[in-house]
Amino acid sequence: MISSRTFTFRDKNLEPIWDKVRSGERLSKEDGLALFASDDLIGVGRMANEVARYKSGDAVYFVLNRKLEPTNVCVLSCKFCDFAVRADSEQAYEMTLDDMLSKLRPDLHEVHITAGLHPKWPWEFYIDMVREIKTQFPNVDVKAFTAVEIDYFSKKFKKSHEQVLRELQQAGLRTMPGGGAEVFSERVRKELFKQKIGARTWFEVHKTAHRMGIKSNVTMLYGHIETIEERIDHMLQVRDCQDETNGFLSFIPLAFQPGNTGIKTRNDFTSAIDDLKTIAVSRLMLDNVPHIKAYWVMLTAEVAAVALNFGADDMDGTVGEERIAHDAGAISPMELAKNKLISIIHESGKLPVERDVWYNPIELYPKKEWSVVSKMPYLNSVPFYQEFESHLNDIKIAPLIPSALGKFARDGVATAGPLSLRDFMTVSEDFERLDYGIAVKGKAHSVLLFSKYDWSELKGKRIGITADTSTSVELLRILLEKKHAISDYKFERMKRESFRNDYTQYDAVLLIGDEALRCAYSGGFAGFNLMYDLAEEWCSWKELPFVFAVWAVRKDAPEAVKNDIVRALEHSLKASTGHYAETGGEYGRLLGMSSSQVEHYLNTFRYRFSIDEHTAMAEFEMEYESLKNVERAFSLSADLQSV
Amino acid sequence: MIEVIKNKVASSQRLTREEGLWLLKNGSLLDLAELAETIRYRLNPQRRVTFVIDSNPNYTNICNIDCIFCAFYRHEEDNDTYTYTVDQMIERFKAAAKRGVRTVLLQGGVNPALPLEYYTEMVRRTRAEVPQIHPHFYSTSEILGMSDVSGLSVPEVLSVLKEAGLNSIPGGGAEILSDKVKRKISSKKGTSADWLNVMREAHKLGYKTTATMMYGHLEKDEDIIEHLAVIRDLQDEYHGFTAFIPWSFKPGNTPLEKIIPTYATGTRYLQMIAISRIFLDNFPHIQASWFSEGKKIGQIALSFGADDFGGVLEEENVHASANFVHTTSVKETVDLIRSAGYTPAERTTLYDIVAEYGPGEYPAAAINSARLDVKLEGTDLLTALPVLEAA
Repeated sequence: MISSRTFTFRDKNLEPIWDKVRSGERLSKEDGLALFASDDLIGVGRMANEVARYKSGDAVYFVLNRKLEPTNVCVLSCKFCDFAVRADSEQAYEMTLDDMLSKLRPDLHEVHITAGLHPKWPWEFYIDMVREIKTQFPNVDVKAFTAVEIDYFSKKFKKSHEQVLRELQQAGLRTMPGGGAEVFSERVRKELFKQKIGARTWFEVHKTAHRMGIKSNVTMLYGHIETIEERIDHMLQVRDCQDETNGFLSFIPLAFQPGNTGIKTRNDFTSAIDDLKTIAVSRLMLDNVPHIKAYWVMLTAEVAAVALNFGADDMDGTVGEERIAHDAGAISPMELAKNKLISIIHESGKLPVERDVWYNPIELYPKKEWSVVSKMPYLNSVPFYQEFESHLNDIKIAPLIPSALGKFARDGVATAGPLSLRDFMTVSEDFERLDYGIAVKGKAHSVLLFSKYDWSELKGKRIGITADTSTSVELLRILLEKKHAISDYKFERMKRESFRNDYTQYDAVLLIGDEALRCAYSGGFAGFNLMYDLAEEWCSWKELPFVFAVWAVRKDAPEAVKNDIVRALEHSLKASTGHYAETGGEYGRLLGMSSSQVEHYLNTFRYRFSIDEHTAMAEFEMEYESLKNVERAFSLSADLQSV
Repeated sequence: MIEVIKNKVASSQRLTREEGLWLLKNGSLLDLAELAETIRYRLNPQRRVTFVIDSNPNYTNICNIDCIFCAFYRHEEDNDTYTYTVDQMIERFKAAAKRGVRTVLLQGGVNPALPLEYYTEMVRRTRAEVPQIHPHFYSTSEILGMSDVSGLSVPEVLSVLKEAGLNSIPGGGAEILSDKVKRKISSKKGTSADWLNVMREAHKLGYKTTATMMYGHLEKDEDIIEHLAVIRDLQDEYHGFTAFIPWSFKPGNTPLEKIIPTYATGTRYLQMIAISRIFLDNFPHIQASWFSEGKKIGQIALSFGADDFGGVLEEENVHASANFVHTTSVKETVDLIRSAGYTPAERTTLYDIVAEYGPGEYPAAAINSARLDVKLEGTDLLTALPVLEAA
């Protein structure tokens, strides 16, 4: 369930829509049209804000990034574009590789590259571009080339979309921007950009990318000649694609600015009401897209700030180039822009989260009087947050995977959350345990070892692990060494982004959370014939439950905050017990699980701890300590702590 | 607490200062909006937004008050001072009237060289020679200045002006009605009580006035609630306020810029509009200012409790002195209201409706603001940080 709140709407037409939204039911095209038709902007905003809170808590993301447009020379001449020029134009420019590199700096996390379709540049230049940036700035993720460019490369250099993407991926491309989508309507395309690829090719390119593990984004250019119905259709096409490939990270509505394009719109710029409503409706329609971006460059920083309460959870980033040279020691324009973003997000009552291109949190920037509580973004944690309505304005919720919570708990930024047991052990001096957590006695269905070999045959084998949690890795280690007496094995860190593509090269892989769950309920993981449930392995061995996570709160947190967290947890667990099908329904649906599967899964967990769980924690700690000093080829703990 | 407040608003009960302060500090942006809209539609049930075709000229920039938030004033010895004669002003009013202007909001510096007759003459001749124009003249500071110059009491000055034909005065100069703050930003401008006394005397005599608030400088949330509470109390006495108009401090070219280098954000503005609509249950109207906050934020404010879009400001010099310029035209004002989803209605200074404009209809007056450098504001995060960038 998305929200237990009831709202009084000025527009009564919103009531049935809210009933659908809050129970996690997907909205129809008619619902979308009714949302746009409503004059109750605040009502529409409230719904979208609730959905955003369900998905991202109070987090609003931004990234330290730079936009590169290597050339404005373009073979197309789209009506709405006043950027592109012909090669012989006086305004034409072409950047060299050095020009591009000179615009970057090592503290950036993303470079966003889009360019005109240049008639002469060779294929190698694009490959070099990506490779050189990755080589010289290893921390900068390359988010490059719209589907329009990919399709152009494919035609010009006579390679399939997949071949083009493969070569770029090998050079270091990790994600793609969402441009070139405009509005997925043949009518609009014929009128405004008939030379440009249509919806079919656009989706083809993105689906190909998604299948290869390249995530991407998707835009919508609105406020020109498109109809409201065409906007909704655009969103529905995105939603269908996402159901198929799950590769979109964010949806980005872009307000059209006529500039010198010559296109006649009703007003010089879109109305702010339209901007906010479009953001809100996107959030409500696109139930399967993780993030909605308020791109301040197009919206204006002011409207983007307001949009953070209307369903948007991302502000893009610092974007701009270094405009003025500054003396060493002076605050740079990028720092200024970052500080400004942080203060805009603060003023909206939201928590600024600096992210990488994958939306992994790099840094949290709460106001000093705020407490940050983690919302574990896994299905098994949903019952904790069902009605986690804090009565304190100073408590902010951030979605953090276990390893991130561990890191921010150690850094002192996170105040409370369901800490992975292994992480709790590292911070137990500063944190106190609450009597809540995630434990299981029997199968857990979400901490799974997929293996080509039986336990007894894992000697000397390569086991792939992800960065999500350290507890399950330690559990695997304990099971291998203590239960099965295997000491000679190799753990290798798998890359999140290459997800699944190279998994089969390992002899076994450890998956946790929703990823594992998806496989468990869909009958396994291709390439691996054995599936071990690690919790079950532990429970049958120790005759004790296994504790994955324990709620803990900083000892020095204000009493009011501690009490409020306990009260919110009690409230949530009471509301969800006995209603798991409903509680986790929406979440499960997006994972492809039926409501009875969700109910079955959530029923396996123990969320309130008693003596059994405390004994189990002590037992795990003892086993862990006994192995702590055993050196292995792979120094696990140190590596995981650096995540 | 939020439930208590929601219940009170739903049953038309007045919020206490404590409740107002709690709401300002803790209320979510959309809670504020929802509560504000409840009251907005109770007081102004129609989906209509009013505007006035007006001009804001100034007769002098010489001023002896030295407010550190102001970039407009000059001292007598400065070389870029001006003081226009009544003749000159009347000529300008006539020209403005020809272009369709219906209200002139006239203010100036407090220039001790001007006698009371200058002011009364200005009103009398406007009424006689430019009857199309409603004079909305003189802030409280100028009225106090007239009292000093003439030796008459404030009620006497107001009576003289009334006899000359004045029946409404603008609500500027209130800044923040908290003496703690006022002392810091405008020590010579007098106390909160001075502003409130002039307003009280004016209301007693039957004047209609507006009330303003300038925030985003040294004030705290407590000062804002204090401000709202004292004008709400005064309104209970004579019901002389037509509308409340909050605006944010514009730091450009002012001494206060050194301390407060950044603009208050649009989000803060929406909070101000909403909290004032919720708290000032006895004020008929709340004015959103496209002018001081930008067109887009102005439009959004209409969903946060505002029901009036202010004037088209054919001429304006005070914000312009702080390098803060937004321009519009009558047509654009109508379009902005319409594209926000409301019926535009032209009003008088006293908030009587002149005409509603249906789809495709526009007022006859085709006025453009003097400056034409229309730019979509706020597209660059860095421009909002003038001082830091220069440093």
